[in-house]
Amino acid sequence: MYTTIGVWVAALFTLAIYSFLYRENPLYRLGEHLVVGISMGYFIVVTYTQVLKPRLIDPIANDGEYILLIPALLGLLYITRFFPKIAWLSRYPMAFIMGTSMGVGFPLAMKASVLRQLEATILPLYQSGMPWHSVLGNVILVLGTLAALIYFFFSKPHKGPFFGTGSKIGIWVIMIGFGATFGFTVMGRISLLIGRIQFLLNDWLGLIN
Amino acid sequence: MKENIWSRMLNLDRRWIFLCIGVVCIVPFFLPFGLPVIPTAHVISIFDYIENLGPENAIFISFDFDPGTDPENMPMAVAVMRHAFSRHIPVFFTANAPLAQGMLESGFAYVTNPDAQEYFHVVSWQEWAQYREQGITGRDELQAAWEADGNVLPENASGWVFEGRDFAKLGYLPYFALAILGMTSSIASQYPEDMNGNPLIDMPMLQEHKSLRDVDLATTFSGTAACMWWVTYAREKIGLPVAFGVTAVSATDYTIYIQSGQLVGQMGGLRGAAEYEVLLQNAGYVEKPDRAFIGMDVQNAAHLLIFFFILLGNIAYFAGGFHKKGVLLKGRR
Repeated sequence: MYTTIGVWVAALFTLAIYSFLYRENPLYRLGEHLVVGISMGYFIVVTYTQVLKPRLIDPIANDGEYILLIPALLGLLYITRFFPKIAWLSRYPMAFIMGTSMGVGFPLAMKASVLRQLEATILPLYQSGMPWHSVLGNVILVLGTLAALIYFFFSKPHKGPFFGTGSKIGIWVIMIGFGATFGFTVMGRISLLIGRIQFLLNDWLGLIN
Repeated sequence: MKENIWSRMLNLDRRWIFLCIGVVCIVPFFLPFGLPVIPTAHVISIFDYIENLGPENAIFISFDFDPGTDPENMPMAVAVMRHAFSRHIPVFFTANAPLAQGMLESGFAYVTNPDAQEYFHVVSWQEWAQYREQGITGRDELQAAWEADGNVLPENASGWVFEGRDFAKLGYLPYFALAILGMTSSIASQYPEDMNGNPLIDMPMLQEHKSLRDVDLATTFSGTAACMWWVTYAREKIGLPVAFGVTAVSATDYTIYIQSGQLVGQMGGLRGAAEYEVLLQNAGYVEKPDRAFIGMDVQNAAHLLIFFFILLGNIAYFAGGFHKKGVLLKGRR
């Protein structure tokens, strides 16, 4: 029975959200606010049961691991944001998180997103035995990357055969990239609609399998 | 400017377009075209990689998405889960956010729902405690002992999955990027217990795979840039192979990581999930594909309609003379 009630509630709120397509209305706003509120409620419950209780409250209460009070206090300092006079204290946990994330993440992120990509662009354009489509692909990849980089090089005017032509080719490369992203975006948005229609027709109305 | 058919077309109330899309997205569910879905290289490479793994290996399936991208990410995660369960590959389930943990529960419930066809029958950690006490923890011997005691696999089930042997639901941890980093040294240090409160250290799959260094693949299903955490903190640090299942919107952003060899492969959007479902069917793991494949007919119809509208809009734009700058400035609303 609870499942049936759940399906009906989900279906009615799905319709309430889609009613926005006709015009803004109170039902849409109710659905929108409930999504935010319920998500936050769920967030708090999961954080308490999965994190706070087993990793902080239980170890302190049952095992006497008082060392955990230090990170707990550091975390509580976030709440000082709500009190203007002592709001500066909230900078300490933020600084800790920022510093740790930068220290831990920067070298690896640099390697993952910059150095590896650089390495992947430094390609042999031709090697004996390489199929023609690989040669063509490599040429396009290397020239396309260079052209896109030239477009974002603003220290020289985009004129002449190198900077002028290069930046024009760069615009085309970027536009082709945007076009592919737009095509995928359309697909993504339609997929979300398909998911909801499948739910309405199958789980709610039982019209399809 | 004088109203004519072209200007009326360009100023069409967008609600008519919404209505057309709505109708086109419903009709194919009742009248499917059955257009084929041909798997692409990036999806085949993930399938082949998992196809070469077995009970001695282990993978991570990370639910790194929330309900907002459920229709795209969930079918991918479900397809990979079915594949891993079919091959008895131990699976660690994680989630990068509280809402993602809800997605984990939902996806797992979908694959293990006893009312569904081709589901996997869960044997909980407590249910097979007596076999552990007897030292029976190997996958095949455990199933043999379990069935020898009179447990019969239901007709509509595809197989057994033993908690702690075939899967462990680790769930959500805050600052998940750091949890990944911690798991490169020890999984149990980050997750002493699973989501159900079972001690991870006692689980046979954890004893065989103590850290991410002992794991063979991490698959992340994500609607955000969170998937990159696996590349940054696991792939680059210890060389863990990573595969992505991402929303269509982000698919182009991460294709470059395949070309650079940082990813095993990538499923992009509903299409990627449908391709994986087809591969599962072709390999005989399922009788028929799942939700993503069914959605592809609708996807095709909607794309044709959007293509038609773009074409019509361009015809109206040029035929109505709106490409002439003066006309555009004066007349178009």
